[in-house]
Amino acid sequence: MTAQDLAVTAATDRGTGRPEEVAVRLDQVRRTFGAKLALDGVSLSVRRGEIHALLGPNGAGKTTLIRVLTGLTTPDGGEIEVFGRHDQGPSSRQLRGSIGFVPSGDRSFYLRISGLENLRFFARLHGMSRKQALERSWQCLRSVDLEEAAKRAVGVYSHGMQKRLSFARAILTDPPLLLVDEATHDLDPEASIRIQQLAADAAEHGAAILWATQRLDEVRSFAHRVTLLHEGHTRFQGSVPDLLAMTETRRFLLQLDRDEVASGSVFERAAAVLGDDGVLVRGDDDTGHAVLHLADGVVLGRGIAALVGAGISILACREERSAMEAAFLHLTQRQTP
Amino acid sequence: MIRVPERRLAVMRAELRKMPAFLRRDLLTEWSYRLAFVLDWGGLIVQALIFAAVQGIVDPSAIPSFEGRQASYLEFAAIGIALSSFMGIALARVYSVFRQEQVQGTLESLLLTPTAFTTMQLGSVAYDLLYVPIRTAIFFAFTTAALGTSFRWSGLGPALAVLVVFIPFVWGIGILAAAWTITFKRGTGVVGIFITLLTIGSGTYFPITVLPGWARSMAQLSPLAIALDAARGSLIGGADWAQVVPAVAILAPCALVSFFVGSVAFRAALSRERRRGTLGLY
Repeated sequence: MTAQDLAVTAATDRGTGRPEEVAVRLDQVRRTFGAKLALDGVSLSVRRGEIHALLGPNGAGKTTLIRVLTGLTTPDGGEIEVFGRHDQGPSSRQLRGSIGFVPSGDRSFYLRISGLENLRFFARLHGMSRKQALERSWQCLRSVDLEEAAKRAVGVYSHGMQKRLSFARAILTDPPLLLVDEATHDLDPEASIRIQQLAADAAEHGAAILWATQRLDEVRSFAHRVTLLHEGHTRFQGSVPDLLAMTETRRFLLQLDRDEVASGSVFERAAAVLGDDGVLVRGDDDTGHAVLHLADGVVLGRGIAALVGAGISILACREERSAMEAAFLHLTQRQTP
Repeated sequence: MIRVPERRLAVMRAELRKMPAFLRRDLLTEWSYRLAFVLDWGGLIVQALIFAAVQGIVDPSAIPSFEGRQASYLEFAAIGIALSSFMGIALARVYSVFRQEQVQGTLESLLLTPTAFTTMQLGSVAYDLLYVPIRTAIFFAFTTAALGTSFRWSGLGPALAVLVVFIPFVWGIGILAAAWTITFKRGTGVVGIFITLLTIGSGTYFPITVLPGWARSMAQLSPLAIALDAARGSLIGGADWAQVVPAVAILAPCALVSFFVGSVAFRAALSRERRRGTLGLY
């Protein structure tokens, strides 16, 4: 793992303003499934009070990493430390009690009994008294907005509701470590924000959160640090601004006058004024969109000024894909070392 | 006197406190299948009536006597049914609950709670352990009141002693079957065949004297046959505590070995699945 191969920034331990106590530390963790390398020497740490996003496309190794931390999968090599305990996985009962886990699938409940009864059951297995379990179950159901559905059988819950119930179960014991695997995958925006807010609250109260996701927008608004995995390798580790700084956006989507675009004259004029600075091409639709490709070193202002100078009306301008998407693609489309 | 360290005792108490949670979960689940719940009770009555009808066609002299008392076929079969019901919990339920948890995706969620495997196993059959004795008692009450069977209730204590050493024996086999299921995902048919052979070949529904010579020799070695014989001796013939000691002396070491082997195999199966990362697969 060289500095060049990995875009591990020097910012790894800076900038969050969070307590420095490390809740989880993985060192060179490896895991294979037959010939498939799921994790290849992955190292990361999550501090208490920190939301650490585990980003990556399908098959990157996010779920495997989380399962290794839960103890459901044993690593082939490397070292894991959870709350100061060295292990190959948190198999001890005490550690299991301090981990809240939201699995990626939605099949993890007893479907014939209600959401409330499911939570009560798991609360009791975490050692709560009957009264505590009932009170805490209601509290958690309220926090994920499932109070009304509390007494309905989980079998009739939607995917989104089961996901919320799963989050409610994970926070039953106010665990100091939350492992969340694609929690917002099936949720509508409102429910997503609610779950993120709950996770953020838990982090505020000192919980360490490892949040696996494919949703880039989530990482931008939410995470303190990011580890980007691709085919079991760490491609980036650092803060969100550092991830954004990985690429310079060169393509912008412009909204122009529809008639001008339709006639095609706008592209001739643009070619004349942009010269080597870039090129303006027709968008995929007929709604007046065009894509401005800028050459390396040319700033957006210069390109826009040239187009406006040629009498082209620019109604709106935005990055063709977000800086986050660009960074994601840049890092995951490089060849695996 | 054996001294259990205070910390260990506290853990055991904490684990025991989890039992009602399993009981409540399974009661609610069973109750959610209301029709099946009702049909089970209906089935119990039908079962008693069928055996009463069979009694009419069985030669009474073919049924052995216990402690000098000639048993009726229904009395003979009722004890076989009761004991095989307990065997069903300890063997089939123990292994099938893990399979069920695996299939419905709850096994991993269970394993992530700070709960001991033993608690999970016991908890998963707690409902049956409570339900089956009630069901059996009602079965006996019905056959006594409506079909004229007669049992020596003074033999209930010795019969329970036999049950106490017999259950861990089949429990161990149940855990072994659970280990098999967790590892190979399939193979429930093998357990079904085993239960059927054991039930039929051990004198549950008819005396082993009607079996061919070779099968009779094998049946005499079957722990189920030993347990059945002792239980019938107590409940039909009124055998006392001393008379069940030989059966208990044979069954107790069998139970220890079976339970030990089952537990080791189960832990090994879980550990293997964790290594392979296939615990949740089915």
